[in-house]
Amino acid sequence: MAISKDVYKEFEDVVGAENISDDPVIKAAYRSPDLTVVLPGNTEEVAAVIKLCNKHKIPYKAQSTGWSFMPPTYDFIFLDLRRMNRIIEINEKNMYAVVEPYVISAELQGELFKRGMICNVKGAGSTCTALAMSGHGHMGLTTSTGDRNDLATEWVTDEGEIIRLGTLGASDEWFCGDGPGPSLRGILRGGGVITKQATKVYHWPGPSEYPLEGVSPRYTLGKKPSDLNMMVRYFSFPSIEKLVEAELKIGESEIAFELMGFCPSMVSSNITTSNEEDFATLDKFTKEVQGPGFMVIIAGNFDEDFAYKKKALAQIIKETDGKSLKTVEDPAVESTLLFQCTRVCASIRETFRAGGMFSSMMVQGQRYDNHVKWLEEGAVLKRELIKKGLVIADDGQQFGWGEEQGHLGHTEIFCRFNPYDEKSSKAVQEWLGKLGKRALDGCFAVPAMGVLPVDEIGKRVSNYHVWFGKLKKAFDPNEVGENTGYSYVGADISGVHTSIYKKEPEKASPKQ
Amino acid sequence: MIKKEKLVEGAKILRAGKLIEIVGLGNVFSGTYHVEKTPHSIGFGNSFRTAFVVKPRNSDDIAKLVKLANDTQTPLVPVSSGPPHFRGDSAPGTGGAVIVDLTKMKKVIRVDRAHRVAMVEPGVTFGELIPAVKKEGLRLNMPLLPRKSKSVVGSMLEREPVVMPKYHWDISDPLACVEVVFGNGEMFRTGQAAGPGTIEEQWAAGGAQKTPYGPGPAQWYRLIQGAQGTMGIVTWASLRCELLPKLEEPFVVGSPDLDKLFELVHWLVRLRLVNECLVLNNSNLAALVAKKWPGDYQDLKDSLPPWVLFFNVAGYDYFPEERVSSQIKGISDLTNRIGVEAERAVGRVSAAEMLKTVQRPSAEPYWKLRYRGACHDIFFITTYEKLEGQIGVMQELANEFGYPASDMGIYLQPIVQGANCHCEFNLFYDPENPSELNRVEELSSFAVTALMATGAFFSRPYGKSARMIVNRDAAYVEALTRVKEILDPNRVMNPGKLCF
Repeated sequence: MAISKDVYKEFEDVVGAENISDDPVIKAAYRSPDLTVVLPGNTEEVAAVIKLCNKHKIPYKAQSTGWSFMPPTYDFIFLDLRRMNRIIEINEKNMYAVVEPYVISAELQGELFKRGMICNVKGAGSTCTALAMSGHGHMGLTTSTGDRNDLATEWVTDEGEIIRLGTLGASDEWFCGDGPGPSLRGILRGGGVITKQATKVYHWPGPSEYPLEGVSPRYTLGKKPSDLNMMVRYFSFPSIEKLVEAELKIGESEIAFELMGFCPSMVSSNITTSNEEDFATLDKFTKEVQGPGFMVIIAGNFDEDFAYKKKALAQIIKETDGKSLKTVEDPAVESTLLFQCTRVCASIRETFRAGGMFSSMMVQGQRYDNHVKWLEEGAVLKRELIKKGLVIADDGQQFGWGEEQGHLGHTEIFCRFNPYDEKSSKAVQEWLGKLGKRALDGCFAVPAMGVLPVDEIGKRVSNYHVWFGKLKKAFDPNEVGENTGYSYVGADISGVHTSIYKKEPEKASPKQ
Repeated sequence: MIKKEKLVEGAKILRAGKLIEIVGLGNVFSGTYHVEKTPHSIGFGNSFRTAFVVKPRNSDDIAKLVKLANDTQTPLVPVSSGPPHFRGDSAPGTGGAVIVDLTKMKKVIRVDRAHRVAMVEPGVTFGELIPAVKKEGLRLNMPLLPRKSKSVVGSMLEREPVVMPKYHWDISDPLACVEVVFGNGEMFRTGQAAGPGTIEEQWAAGGAQKTPYGPGPAQWYRLIQGAQGTMGIVTWASLRCELLPKLEEPFVVGSPDLDKLFELVHWLVRLRLVNECLVLNNSNLAALVAKKWPGDYQDLKDSLPPWVLFFNVAGYDYFPEERVSSQIKGISDLTNRIGVEAERAVGRVSAAEMLKTVQRPSAEPYWKLRYRGACHDIFFITTYEKLEGQIGVMQELANEFGYPASDMGIYLQPIVQGANCHCEFNLFYDPENPSELNRVEELSSFAVTALMATGAFFSRPYGKSARMIVNRDAAYVEALTRVKEILDPNRVMNPGKLCF
């Protein structure tokens, strides 16, 4: 079923007949039988569509570039933002760029490279939106994280009101997102749709474009990294303690452009083009490394800077008994990692290629060393799944990296598996549940989204779910906006648009 | 919403006994206790009578006070810094208020070298925290010469600009996490501090209260910052610290050409070549470093070019000399290209002296009060290319109002790693001279409006002009009000401030 013809016509009046559809073929393309897809072209259309949703009490879900799509199981309006794809401004002097939600990081980064600049790219990859919302990335040591890069923002609330944060509301400019007074950046991720946003950008010491050679999927860089004042190395360590020590020293000494806590399996995934090649390479790496490791990219702003950073890195590695992986010292491999890991086009290979699916326990923002003990327990449990053949047999390692020169960080461990194998899926879900419970019991961290019911987490984390429920109620009184299991009281753990839209009275109202 | 008359009535029926029960006999004072004899700034708005001043000893006291305030509908005004107060946010905006003076809460709860973070109660001043973190090899990214009595927590909650833009990743820095008693009396911890577990349990698990955002998708600390105490009372805050350098090489660049200086500032910050980095006009630089008044001030000022950029190159644990020399090489390339010269001294001011000065709080008397006894600040956020125009507008207005533009102090601070610039005009005046005071007050009022027309963003509006600034965007005010109604539904927290 879809919305009534009359209501459909009201939405059509906003976006035009060519930008709305409930055709079964189109629905199938969106993997949901229950949606009406609407493609707004600008902020005003987004606001008008959401107001109609409120008028008719129809839930909506908005999507920019869609890393993961969790379709609801009831009738809803799907706001596909693909028409909102403009880079509105790149301001070199004040180091920000303004984008619409369907601009992907690869596009923005390509334009920024020409100007000697770079943006944060989410770890999920450069095909994700360039909006500075959430998403921690491999270059976080230098380019911070999504949660801290946003400046002025244009935001349509779940009631369809347009709010312009910071300088945008005051003077129609983009350079600041906070104030006057308290900053509504604090509730931006509470719902609604971001229609335009300024994001901080950073200096890029590398080339204005990568001179790639070869054909897909085996591209190579036409230059040696050292010719660009850049260097990529992979170091392994005799213990996690030594690795953490090295990582913190690198952050504190401000010498690395990127430090990515790749396990050997992630490196092998990135530099190979098939599973067979991947596993053979991993086997070789496993024999070569002495223990856990990470990848470092050094980038010099000028010759002396490059020389200093290399020298300091060498000293830190010496002090922490690190060992360089010889394969990565090969300029061909080094250059591949350089462009893949700064353009961040590697994530899919690391996560989906081997098994078809991955599930991850991650903690964003907190430093890696805070969680080593906990995730090492996860690694032990993961290796049991590997032994039983339930997940892909990689090295079973956790990983992490520093952000903002090691002030913040990211920690993660994931299992790759075949999603069509029920046993595997169940085993991975149980593994995540155990890890999540351990995170709470051990006072380590708030477990990743969807692992445990939010009520169970919230009551041990300052009752944030209750407070967030109040915010949600204040800004989405008709409950048409997205309602993630991560955030809201009464939601289950399955993800998006859950219990409150099933129209079941016992689950309909938040327990506050 | 409770009407103002009702709030006043609530305060009247409040008995001092109830306050004494909560904070103890020696910590309740009459309302006149807090009145400052000499106004050191203007723009406080109407002055209302304070019912009581209380000095809580800990977060439990604060929670009980907020609960009592809700029960008796009594306005509370949190104050964490000692006098002199300048901006009016700590002056009651309504009658019958109880001032919650947090200056007794002075614990430095923790300094954690490994995580580069400190945790302090709101009464801790810069002068107290600097040596505590220094012992652990750390330093603060702090505002320019805060007054001796300035609370570290207060400064962060006000989003004051800091002098090292390289480490100012987000405008909220260096604030990390807070424990807050919201206006409805409930206690909440933000960011990594939220849980799971108590703070002590988090430490035992190897954690620190460092990550600011969350819990959940919201960034609660952003709703508390900039709120001027209208959302709740912070009982402690953690803040990120930076490493103490092993080697520092400060420089100054004098020039009449602000454009050139800011071309250099852009690249120094963009390439992360420097730590401290700020620009002062000759009036302010002289006011900052003068030892003998008034003669020394004028001589110093006369010796200086109109603008001085100060920056500092630092080396850390690994080969500090080599790091500093490589960065100086990079800076030399920039100064040669731009056509300015980085030197060890300008006029009678040495870079080394400047470095010492900006790494500590102001000596007494507070530097802004030395010249004329009082100072009114007009400050906003802007971008580099607008600066010259906005300074021109302010100078013209000053002259128009009979305030000598050449006496005005100007402080320009790149912030948020170069994405923004804090611009501050310091209007020094004699508080005993009514005509001077009136002139500055009038000038200030006109200047805010005129500067807003040029794109100046008053992100931290105080005093009389705050309401006018905030109310320009009705949708924003409506959204803020919804947040306020959740966190402080009875509007007991600092009523009359901002748009509340």
